[in-house]
Amino acid sequence: MLRGHQQSKPFHVSLISTSYDAGSFFDEMFEPDGKTVRPHYRRLAERLTTLPAADFNQRRAAVDLAFLRRGVTFTVYNDSEGTERIFPFDLIPRIIPGREWAKLEAGLIQRITALNLFLHDLYHGQKILKDKIVPAALILGAKHFRREFMNFNVPRDIYVHICGTDLIRDHAGNYLVLEDNLRCPSGASYMLENRVAMRRAFPNLFSSYGVRPVETYGDALLKSLLYLAPDHTEKPNVVLLTPGVYNSAYFEHTFLARQMGIPIVEGRDLVVRESKVYMRTTAGLVQVDVIYRRIDDDFLDPTVFRADSMLGVPGLVAAARAGHVALANSIGTGVADDKVIYAYVPKIIKYYLGEEPILSNVNTYLASEPLDRKYILENISKLVVKSANEAGGYGMLIGPASTKAECESFRAQVAANPRNFIAQDPIALSRSPTYCDGELQGRHIDLRPYILYGKKITVTPGGLTRVALRKGSLVVNSSQGGGSKDTWVLQGDE
Amino acid sequence: MHLSILHRTTFTYAGKAHDSFNEVRLRPIDDAFQKCVSFDLRLEPTATPQDYSDFYGNTIHYFDIAEAHTKLIVEAQSLVETTPNDDRPSVPSVSSTDLERSAEREMLAEFYTSSHYVPLEVDLWREAQDALCDGRADVWNEVCRLGRHIYRTFAYKPKTTGVSTRANDALKLRMGVCQDFAHVHLGLCRSLGIPARYVSGYFFNTTRRPREIEASHAWIEAYVPGYGWAAFDPTHDRPADDRYVKVAVGRDYADIRPINGTYRGAPTRSLKVDVKVRQINGRLVTA
Amino acid sequence: MLSRVAHSLYWMSRYIERAENIARLLEVNLQFLLDFQGLNDASLKDHWDSIILSTGEEKLFAEHYKTATSRTVTEFLAFDLRNPGSILACVFAARENARMIRDQISAEMWETLNELHLYLKSQNTTDVWAGGPHEFFARIKQASHLFQGLTGATYSRSEGWEFIQFGKYIERADKTTRILDVKYHILLPSASDIGGAVDTAQWQAVLRSASALEAYRRAHVSAILPWKAAEFLIFSDSFPRSLHYCVAQIDDFLRRILSETGARPKSDAARAARRLLADLQSLSIAEIIDQGLHEFLQQVQTTLDIIGEEVVQTTMFYPAESSAEEQQQQQQQ
Repeated sequence: MLRGHQQSKPFHVSLISTSYDAGSFFDEMFEPDGKTVRPHYRRLAERLTTLPAADFNQRRAAVDLAFLRRGVTFTVYNDSEGTERIFPFDLIPRIIPGREWAKLEAGLIQRITALNLFLHDLYHGQKILKDKIVPAALILGAKHFRREFMNFNVPRDIYVHICGTDLIRDHAGNYLVLEDNLRCPSGASYMLENRVAMRRAFPNLFSSYGVRPVETYGDALLKSLLYLAPDHTEKPNVVLLTPGVYNSAYFEHTFLARQMGIPIVEGRDLVVRESKVYMRTTAGLVQVDVIYRRIDDDFLDPTVFRADSMLGVPGLVAAARAGHVALANSIGTGVADDKVIYAYVPKIIKYYLGEEPILSNVNTYLASEPLDRKYILENISKLVVKSANEAGGYGMLIGPASTKAECESFRAQVAANPRNFIAQDPIALSRSPTYCDGELQGRHIDLRPYILYGKKITVTPGGLTRVALRKGSLVVNSSQGGGSKDTWVLQGDE
Repeated sequence: MHLSILHRTTFTYAGKAHDSFNEVRLRPIDDAFQKCVSFDLRLEPTATPQDYSDFYGNTIHYFDIAEAHTKLIVEAQSLVETTPNDDRPSVPSVSSTDLERSAEREMLAEFYTSSHYVPLEVDLWREAQDALCDGRADVWNEVCRLGRHIYRTFAYKPKTTGVSTRANDALKLRMGVCQDFAHVHLGLCRSLGIPARYVSGYFFNTTRRPREIEASHAWIEAYVPGYGWAAFDPTHDRPADDRYVKVAVGRDYADIRPINGTYRGAPTRSLKVDVKVRQINGRLVTA
Repeated sequence: MLSRVAHSLYWMSRYIERAENIARLLEVNLQFLLDFQGLNDASLKDHWDSIILSTGEEKLFAEHYKTATSRTVTEFLAFDLRNPGSILACVFAARENARMIRDQISAEMWETLNELHLYLKSQNTTDVWAGGPHEFFARIKQASHLFQGLTGATYSRSEGWEFIQFGKYIERADKTTRILDVKYHILLPSASDIGGAVDTAQWQAVLRSASALEAYRRAHVSAILPWKAAEFLIFSDSFPRSLHYCVAQIDDFLRRILSETGARPKSDAARAARRLLADLQSLSIAEIIDQGLHEFLQQVQTTLDIIGEEVVQTTMFYPAESSAEEQQQQQQQ
């Protein structure tokens, strides 16, 4: 708090100043003139105006320290040791009016409903392929199409229980889906920790706004996991399966397990006997009914998938096939978050639901289609090109920001293996004022809401807003210089 | 033809093994040209296998053995009835254009694109062009000629390749065993856009010498619209006939491994495979 | 709780206790020799030999070192990673086990082990001798005490706690028997030396190894009578390093770990612990000396081994992939 007689400079002099450059991007907080504050940010702007810089810095430091102490980290493996880093957090929240969120929520629910039906179809009758809506070749050649689970039933017919869909906004402020994450989407722990931090840093502002809670995530997740247990089990045993301490998301695994009050196990803690899964405990073998698995299919069971995997459980797939254990997310969901299949999602929504998609995709060119391929090869320096199966911003070319040599190299890759690439027009991602070197500067952001599919589909209000901390950068991933903000979905509209 | 097949695999460990989880593909298929009259799987140590049908329609038996053991015996005994050659329709002549336009081709995409053991590299395509330099013809004709080409220009030599040899490696060596011949043949067919799949099974060798070691065999099937899957054996330069018993099909060897599993304990000291294919005279009676 | 977690907690606890006890052993004996500059070479050698013998690693020591001197013994027992019982090896192992279950223990507990590990890595025998070994050993004891204190303050009294305590007391009881054995069996004085300055000083060293000198003096007269010192370390029910105290704790935690709720223990481990406790409650030092103290101590060590092994097998059995029996192998044809 203020000490002595010296008045610290009111924040607004350096913060909401005439020099805030909204640029040609859609800015979350400011109108294009860089001065007029959007209605739902007014309360925040007023608070920041009256908050002295030293005070703001103090709160920032306190939040950082809290993160450090609580161990809210992720691990970067550049060397064998691995360094633990705090996921940088920006104190300026991203605010979404209730009305805007309602549309997002409807769109996300529609999308996951369709994707679940799609997955069920792909692993059963494959009608959508026979009706030629999606080319069979794309599915059959997809890295994550798991033939090993063809024709098997999954509990409640749900394939994706936890989904993280990445959204961006274009220059006009329209929300677009960038990609779905249907395998092991991460980041929910940061969403929850960020909320704790913001409540502490700005208690009054927070309560004056009426922000919808996210703290229910753990409960909702547990509920959707329990929903998968066989009906006759009185007290279903739900566990979280982690690859272990060396995994970069290990913090999140332990965090979520603790939130839900469930055991966290590694592959070697489980054993399969007669197609049932058991946990090795001090009281003997205890049967497991539901596994929230944070291990990719490839490493899940060395008898069926990669034989060299030490992280999995031999016989686990047999137990899932027999219906003795439920896996969340189910085996084989990766085929639907393939970047090439992404381009077909609007058609998929129409096919299964008979509806137009509420949320649009980013316009995508498919290198596997001849006309699109020609366009991509001819215009590669103007496009964002992505490899179908890489994650975390790797295997991507941002044409306008790359050298001639980089573009050439990518063009050759696309020509050699067209099925593996898509391209998109660069989207001018929206920006949000972010604290940089003593003032607010616009930085590009995206949004990852978390959708849970249990008895009902619920979308946690908000999600993880990721911000590209480096000036001009569009890459928001933690391993490449990204940070995050708290996301406030309002009860009302301002 | 009525055939009795015994396929026994014995793993001996340099010590003890336990918590052994395995999947086996040993049960012969039922299709238009063969019927598996009976199948019996005996395991030592004893275990009760479960089974399911995989993506390709193969029957997979799976089992686990928790207790310690020093060896594992997987013994499959089958009685199979194959359709006599005279009763098999001949393969029609279908042009490659008709193949390309056929409705089913899209759904067979995985059989004319790269797979683990058969990456479609340009060498295979060149070889296929060379083999058919006399001119293009109908699909089946080309499949047979490609097979003959391999038969004539490759040497059958055991122990020159390994279980992980891929089609392009075998192509460079120009030698191998039936697995390699099949992979190369697949590579040639697929380079030309002909859907083709790997077949594992047995061959009743009527000209077998008394001491000759029997083993399981590998050949291919190519898709001919209006007919279905037509089989050709590049190791022996002939279409498969009633002496051939199909066990499993897939994109390549990786999809049809007879035995695949993991266990904990000492490494395998030895692996012994015993195959006996015998003709049964008279009607086959189920046990 | 998960067997693997119980296993890691148990061994983390045992290894730290082990490291502390080795530090004590070394420190006191180094001090002893400083006090007795006048000892001839033969006696010196005997003395160092006895320490190696007490750890049970005489064969391993002989493989790598020619003679037992203060330097070689310090090197072997403090820094040599080829010796799985060296202080460095034990602290490494404790830290590894802690790391595997890092989310189960408090941040302070982890940091303590981590700092000790970093400190040890930065030291070597020459440094220790140059800087004064007392500093070095004090550091290790402090870290161990801090760790135990933090555990007491920050670890919930749950099943995990039981395994931590059980491991600690099993280890401590074992090490106490060895500290006693050093003197009584290995350093048997000749008839003329009994009660002499050297003999008394050696007994003082034994008590000091267990931090028991002051407690002993409070319990008895200031004169150190050999059989009284042994009696104290075996039978005292209030001194936390005495056998009786440790075994009473072991009995208690064992019952909880094995869920033995009845008055009569059922499992072999619990019965063995109960019998041992009964002996420690009822035998007299004279009876033990008659039977043979060394034999008695050996029996106790064997009993502790059996108890520990059975608990590991019953509750903590899970595959440790490093062992040959647990290697995951592929099987294909």
